[in-house]
Amino acid sequence: MRTKNVVHLVLILGLLSVLNLTYAQDTPEVSEEGKEVYEESCAHCHGIEGRGDGSAAENLLPRPRDFTRGLYKIRSTESGQLPTDQDLFDIITIGMPGSSMPGWETSLSANDRWEVVAYIKTFYDGFKESETPPRQISLEGKIPYSEDSVEIGKVLYTQFACFECHGNLGRGDGTSAPTLQDEWGFKSWPANLTQSWNYRGGNGIDDIYKRFIGGIAGSAMPMFEDPAFGLTIEQSKRYNELDSKVEMTESEEEEYNQLDEKMGNAYEILDLMADGDATEEQKQIYDTAMKAFNVKSWHLANYVKSLSPEKQPEPAIGKNVLRSQYTINELPEIADAAWETLESSYFPLVGQIIVEPRQFNPTIDSVNVKSFYNDTEVVFLFTWDDRTHNTEVEEDEDTGTTFEDAIAIQFPVKVPKGPTAEKPYFLWGGRKAVYLWQWKASDADKVTELTAKGINNAEAQEVQGDIQAKSEYTDGQYKLWVKRALKTDDKKDLQLESGVFVPIAFSAWDGANGDVDTKRVISSWYSFVLEPVPSSRRFIYPPLVALLSFGLLVGLRQFVRQRNT
Amino acid sequence: MKTKMLTCLILLFAFGFGLFVFADSHEKEEEMNKLVFPKAYKSTTVKDGGKISGVVKFEGEVPEKKKLEITKDPKVCGVTDKFDESLVVGDGMALKNTIVYLMDISQGKDFDKDAKVEIDQKDCRFDPHVQIIPVGTVLTMLNNDKATHNVHIFGTKKNNTEINIQQTKNRKKMRLTRFKSKNAEGPVEVKCDIHGWMKAWVAYVPHPYFAVTNEKGEFTLEDVPAGTYKLGYWHEACGTNNKEPVTVTVTAGGEVKQDFTLKLKK
Repeated sequence: MRTKNVVHLVLILGLLSVLNLTYAQDTPEVSEEGKEVYEESCAHCHGIEGRGDGSAAENLLPRPRDFTRGLYKIRSTESGQLPTDQDLFDIITIGMPGSSMPGWETSLSANDRWEVVAYIKTFYDGFKESETPPRQISLEGKIPYSEDSVEIGKVLYTQFACFECHGNLGRGDGTSAPTLQDEWGFKSWPANLTQSWNYRGGNGIDDIYKRFIGGIAGSAMPMFEDPAFGLTIEQSKRYNELDSKVEMTESEEEEYNQLDEKMGNAYEILDLMADGDATEEQKQIYDTAMKAFNVKSWHLANYVKSLSPEKQPEPAIGKNVLRSQYTINELPEIADAAWETLESSYFPLVGQIIVEPRQFNPTIDSVNVKSFYNDTEVVFLFTWDDRTHNTEVEEDEDTGTTFEDAIAIQFPVKVPKGPTAEKPYFLWGGRKAVYLWQWKASDADKVTELTAKGINNAEAQEVQGDIQAKSEYTDGQYKLWVKRALKTDDKKDLQLESGVFVPIAFSAWDGANGDVDTKRVISSWYSFVLEPVPSSRRFIYPPLVALLSFGLLVGLRQFVRQRNT
Repeated sequence: MKTKMLTCLILLFAFGFGLFVFADSHEKEEEMNKLVFPKAYKSTTVKDGGKISGVVKFEGEVPEKKKLEITKDPKVCGVTDKFDESLVVGDGMALKNTIVYLMDISQGKDFDKDAKVEIDQKDCRFDPHVQIIPVGTVLTMLNNDKATHNVHIFGTKKNNTEINIQQTKNRKKMRLTRFKSKNAEGPVEVKCDIHGWMKAWVAYVPHPYFAVTNEKGEFTLEDVPAGTYKLGYWHEACGTNNKEPVTVTVTAGGEVKQDFTLKLKK
């Protein structure tokens, strides 16, 4: 009897010890179900213990979040505060665009998602320790979107120093961009604000506002305070004007000192408020300054909103297919205003993950293309965003090796007859060869013609045809201009004819992202067409046909009448 | 029947133990690079306390000083040359920026209320490189540069919230009142992301017996109540002595000398 009891006791203790180990914490509200769902759906990336080290993690950038430090990027709460349960639920539901985190709305029930929320909170003690709910960001005083507000926001974008990381035009190409890392030491890129479909926390104006009031935890994105606290928009503009002056007149200096003092005073009050030591008068100054800051922040949010189209553009198929426009004039040069008259066609790019080495974490989103042709030549303008301008191979012990940026435009050697005819393999050909234009940043005004029969089987053509190329890189964007004759004597070249749909595909390399050889971004086949010349004959034939049919009808009527009589 | 059950039990235990060891190895590795704190600390008046002092030296080949590449704001940041500060070895192999501290003191003096808890951002460099912060004390950040910085103090496992706040050139002094540390922990990394080379460390500590070595490698811990203590160190590049702390015995009013010789972390 006694031995039985001992055995039972040992058994219970053993079970308890195992249970203790498998549960990170014994939080009563965490159910077995939450753990089960987590381990089945989340642990592959986020790890069994929530460290962000699941089996798939190594290949992902941004890395899956490590839940053990309570750092959540997308929050409705102030800087340094934990997210609300609703924040966590929303991210699980919607996912994080531009990252590997999918939305789970269709694959997990709402109940399961709430269970997961409860479970991931057990990975960080802070959730248990905090006595008060996290402080939420107030959305009061929101300023409606307008052109005027965008204009004001544009000035504030510089004053708030957003450009340091996000670049002058918001393409994520700021001078601090190349060295940014997250708190785990992994490379992290500032958002390209012109591509709002990749904003991790959504592209609503409220979302944007919350990101810079609350910061993005674990990343380089800080919370922002007013860079000219206590000053109105007009005053802060004036302050910056005076500040950048090499020499000030006496009255200007006086004005500057006054503004400087006002600002310094307001900053002091900010600290006093945080300590709870401010007088009534100081509180009033604080309130006024905070209101001005909120106004500035909403203008800034409106400006960021204005930088990107609402949605990712439709890819270049169907009605959006790339149509090269005929012109009787000279073809435009790279900086010609004529390009502004065309809509560009959008070709989304994805990481190449078929052949080793692969690119799982692409940084180039897409390439935009415009084209003109005349009776003898065709010209293309390729535009794509790249945060860094890499023209050579660089070894850097902190950021790793950097390669040069490049792009390749791919065509078949022979245009397949009809839409169902077989095209060459989309990854640089196979049995059927492809014809390529390859451009590299180290030789910025040159395009090399290649023939390829596979991604690792490309050769520069022995006879390089007369292809003109020019390129430029400004504010995080490449422009490549390429001009060639419609017809050439080289059998290895593509020959172009108006009205024929020609397959086209792209490969691009961002050197700073480690892209080289097969590690690149690609597209599958799209097509383009030299839009047939609007012919003057349309003014002759249709009336002629109409006239003839009318004549025939009259004749027929005459004939029928005669037969009847 | 019974033997079977026993075997099952043994297996179960073995499995449990295996899991335990596996789950713990991660944590342990991390803990080896952190400071060790007493379970509790009570501040009292210390009369006739002793003193522990010494010099920390570096042993081994001193790597060539790594000059930092100034990739931003050259007019502000590039005026003086800057070097990587993870290992600063001075004359006579003196090792700067080593934390020397008592690991297991449970009662002693209170913090010096007048001591400045500040980090200056000057010439795009944090000064000091290692700052001790009493738990719950507000850190003050100075900006003496005509440049915008962001003060980024990493989030931690022990519920000391992440701080990442922009400090523009207009804000000369910023008290991080909203971000008080809650638990003893550290050292924790400090960075400016805008100027990626700017790095420093803070440690949130529960008692005042912490010292950071100066350029001569010297440290002093004063007003230590008589007793026997474990003396620990932490250095960014050389690690800790958590596995083998040194034991020192302090007598009333006496002075103990304890030097250290540190090698690069493997």
